[in-house]
Amino acid sequence: MELIFSTLINGLSLGGIYAMIALGYTMVYGIAKLLNFAHGDIIMVGGYLIYVFMATNNPLLAIFMAVIGCVILGICVEKIAYKPLRGASPLAVLITAIGVSNLLQSLAQIIFGSAPKMATVYDFGIVKLFGATIQISSLVTLVVAFAVMTALTLFVKFTRLGRAMIAVSEDRSAAQLMGINVNSIITVTFAIGSALAALAGLFYLLKAPSISSTLGAMPGIKAFTAAVIGGIGSIPGAMLGGILLGMIESISYKITAIAPYTDAIEFSILILILLVRPTGFLGKKRREKV
Amino acid sequence: MKKTIALLLTLTLCLSLLAGCGGAQGGYTANNTEYVIGVSGPLTGGAAMYGKAVANSAQMAVDEINAAGGLNGIKFKLVATDDMNDPTKISTNYSSLLEGGMQLSLGTVTTQPALEFKNLSFDDNVFFLTPSASGDAVPANPNGYQMCFADGNQGKVAAGFVNENFAGQTIGVFYKSDEAYSKGIFDQFKANLDASVTVIETSFSDANATDFSTQIDTLKNCGFIFMPIYYTPASLFMTQAKDTIAPNAVYYGCDGFDGIDNIDGFDITAIPQAVTMLSHFNSKAEDGAAKAFIDKYVAAYGADTLNQFGAAAYDCVYALYGAMEKAINEGAEIPVTISASDLCEILKAQFEGGYGLANAVTGDSIKWEPTGYVNKVAIQYVIKEAN
Amino acid sequence: MNLNVKKQRHYINCIVIALVTLVLGILSLTGVRFDNSLLFLLEKVAISIILAVSLSLVVGFLGELSLGHAGFMCVGAYLGGKVASLLVPAMGNGLAAFLISLAVGCAAAAVCGVIIGIPALRLRGDYLAIVTLAFGEIVKSLFQNSSDESFGGSLGLETPRYNKAYLFIIAFVLVLVTLAVIQNLIRSKHGRAITAIRDNEIAARASGINVTKYKLLAFILSAAFAGMAGVLYSYSNYTVQSTKFSYNYSIEILVMVVLGGMGSINGSIIAAALITYLNTKLATVLTGDLAVLQNLLYALILILIIIYNNAPALKGFRDKYNLGVLADKVIKKRLDPSHVQDDQAKWDVVPTKISMDEILSVDLTPQNFGPDQKGGDK
Repeated sequence: MELIFSTLINGLSLGGIYAMIALGYTMVYGIAKLLNFAHGDIIMVGGYLIYVFMATNNPLLAIFMAVIGCVILGICVEKIAYKPLRGASPLAVLITAIGVSNLLQSLAQIIFGSAPKMATVYDFGIVKLFGATIQISSLVTLVVAFAVMTALTLFVKFTRLGRAMIAVSEDRSAAQLMGINVNSIITVTFAIGSALAALAGLFYLLKAPSISSTLGAMPGIKAFTAAVIGGIGSIPGAMLGGILLGMIESISYKITAIAPYTDAIEFSILILILLVRPTGFLGKKRREKV
Repeated sequence: MKKTIALLLTLTLCLSLLAGCGGAQGGYTANNTEYVIGVSGPLTGGAAMYGKAVANSAQMAVDEINAAGGLNGIKFKLVATDDMNDPTKISTNYSSLLEGGMQLSLGTVTTQPALEFKNLSFDDNVFFLTPSASGDAVPANPNGYQMCFADGNQGKVAAGFVNENFAGQTIGVFYKSDEAYSKGIFDQFKANLDASVTVIETSFSDANATDFSTQIDTLKNCGFIFMPIYYTPASLFMTQAKDTIAPNAVYYGCDGFDGIDNIDGFDITAIPQAVTMLSHFNSKAEDGAAKAFIDKYVAAYGADTLNQFGAAAYDCVYALYGAMEKAINEGAEIPVTISASDLCEILKAQFEGGYGLANAVTGDSIKWEPTGYVNKVAIQYVIKEAN
Repeated sequence: MNLNVKKQRHYINCIVIALVTLVLGILSLTGVRFDNSLLFLLEKVAISIILAVSLSLVVGFLGELSLGHAGFMCVGAYLGGKVASLLVPAMGNGLAAFLISLAVGCAAAAVCGVIIGIPALRLRGDYLAIVTLAFGEIVKSLFQNSSDESFGGSLGLETPRYNKAYLFIIAFVLVLVTLAVIQNLIRSKHGRAITAIRDNEIAARASGINVTKYKLLAFILSAAFAGMAGVLYSYSNYTVQSTKFSYNYSIEILVMVVLGGMGSINGSIIAAALITYLNTKLATVLTGDLAVLQNLLYALILILIIIYNNAPALKGFRDKYNLGVLADKVIKKRLDPSHVQDDQAKWDVVPTKISMDEILSVDLTPQNFGPDQKGGDK
């Protein structure tokens, strides 16, 4: 019972982080039709910004600056690297995104060095729940992640801007004809995705106060996996995929025999799901145009 | 036209390749004016602290020897190359060292690159004495020796300690499943443990090297946790576990723990648990050769990179120097242009013949087994008592 | 231009590589001892060329992004290396043991190519990219956590190293084999079918091309040659360590293909040789924290080349100032309107995409899909 409960909380909080990152992938994919491979590295930039601004000893300021910084970075990346390629082949955009990802990583390594930095944001301590020892930071992560996801869902469903985003992802040219400014919608999408990534960076620092230039690489790929499992382009899909992946990871680490194979297990599940449902659980079927 | 350009480029490239193969009939040491010692280590990257310590300390020893007149007037020169702890960089580093006139070597700083280095150097018969590449297989060839304890031996010593103090109890282990160092120690530790000791195993791998909450949760009832890992993940584990693991628990590490009390941003005094390590060097030593080394090193390079890797490298240079000196006293000739292979034979004869280093930084009496493993006393060093 | 001249021009890369190999090989066999650094470099260049050319088949000609090329290489390196380490004690470190290991490594990688090729039939573009990436990570993780007796686990697999004075000759012979197979395939009707799938899969299918067969063929061939590079790698190193075959290595191979120009075999060869050469040279020049500059440089090259070659806004600029036009200007050779164009020269200007995109649309999937998230909003 105790074991199940702590695994559940760990899995859910990890899943919450994955879901938040996956949301960034999925929204950008749905609206700009591009796979933003550099999304994971925004997490890393967010983490470093928090590290830098923690010099002021004010966690809230540091978080705020990290979110602002990541939003600006996300918009810049979109304007400089992706916008010139709108209308080019998806392969070209994907390779550019990989280039941006490597660029951000090496820049971080040049600026901050390759050794990991320790950055303690806030020490929440632990709490005993149902006999299980739970890190309060996990609970905070869980609550904030779900609050953000709910807010995002409401935003997309019930505001003008959110509905415009849906319109653009449904049919870009029709949306344009209806007077929606596609460029600004794409910019807003990147901004939201980057803000979520900055928060994910914060949660990683809360979990483990260490940051290096590759912090975002694996979580980025995992969250991408989550987005694909859930069906890329679908917001509930990203949440579902993220939580599923977090739970799988958490359970797998509990079982000594398979713990070293955790990554392999997660990726195998991805391949299996894609074989059965090529567009993920909640993904949209593709219409092929001739 | 693109094709013509492509063709021209290809030809240029081929010509530049051909230009690279001038003479070079061996004899890279023909123009040496000093004995050249080569070493490859991570001067950048996550393990840079170790590589820098080795390069600095070895340079310090070389400078001391040179200041005292070298070996019969011939000075030493240290060449350090950066491998970023990446085995694939070794072939390039090794050949550039060899072609730069390397006559003897400190091998590599870390284990994984050493596995490549040991065979390359065996082909050309280059002697190496590694300060810190602790893999069991590193000194497998007759030209390789270790200054540090081999991983398996560390595992055995740690298992002996546990058998003595925790018989019939449950202990925890936290190791890195995809790292040769960690797994090498752990495997021997497990193999040498008494049946009465119950082990709770947890592990992690590179992919999630920061969040250990699941593992901590598994280990939370253990009073003794064996952690054969390097200090960076260890410090993260301790930070995350400080409220969960019992405050009087003991974290027991091997030489990878060295430097854990020196990490920027990690305050070891904030950890309630005790931290102990098995090592051959005490970075807080109050007397003897270690004290002299520490004072000199801190004055020259600061305390940031002071660790047992550097201490071992310092001893390595003196061991090589001592062995060459002893060989000369016994009648061997070591001209400054001696080939790496000839010098290797001389040094092998010395190391196999019971040559030893006394009153060194990492041990009062250091000798080597014929297998290449070091024979000295391991000290259990308490970094921090439980609060 | 008659057919013979054209054929010669197609095989010019093979001829150049064969000549260089021959000269160096004769020198080496007659007892000239090359520097280790040169031999290592030649081996690495050969491995990179094989990898880049084989990836080019999938990325440049089939038009699918594979991020798991290092994974195929990893399979070849481990299985080929394992076979070699078993065979060499029994039959000596000779050509026979090498060829058997090579066959095993290639076959194992080809089997993996089938495993990845099958999802490739159902998935497109981004989904396929993530599957190949996942495959690479799975393979890496499995070998990393293997037991010490089987594949060496975290210590890596100890493999025999071939006599280094001769290995580069074998390596370049294998480069020639790769080039011969892949170039012939591309210039055959099968190759045309593969490029047709890249340009428009539906049109290709409508023209009666067996898309399944050709996609699988491209994946299997590409994987088999990556496996070959892997076996070569295991023979040119004393240990095969899985950390080498990470996602970053796949990206490095991709950079070679992109830098050389997608769909250009010669470009891939030159880029592979150039990047490998720079990697080894820069490794000894750029030390300390400067070493990162290398990655920074690759990232910038990747972004700039892709934007330059693909940005719709730069099309006019490209047509005016591309390498071919500049070269023509320099050599002052005008394009003659009656000049017979090389058949592969202007592939990309053939309007394969019909501009009826907006008029016609066909649903390829059955209509009975359930309510999806976006559809629910309607």
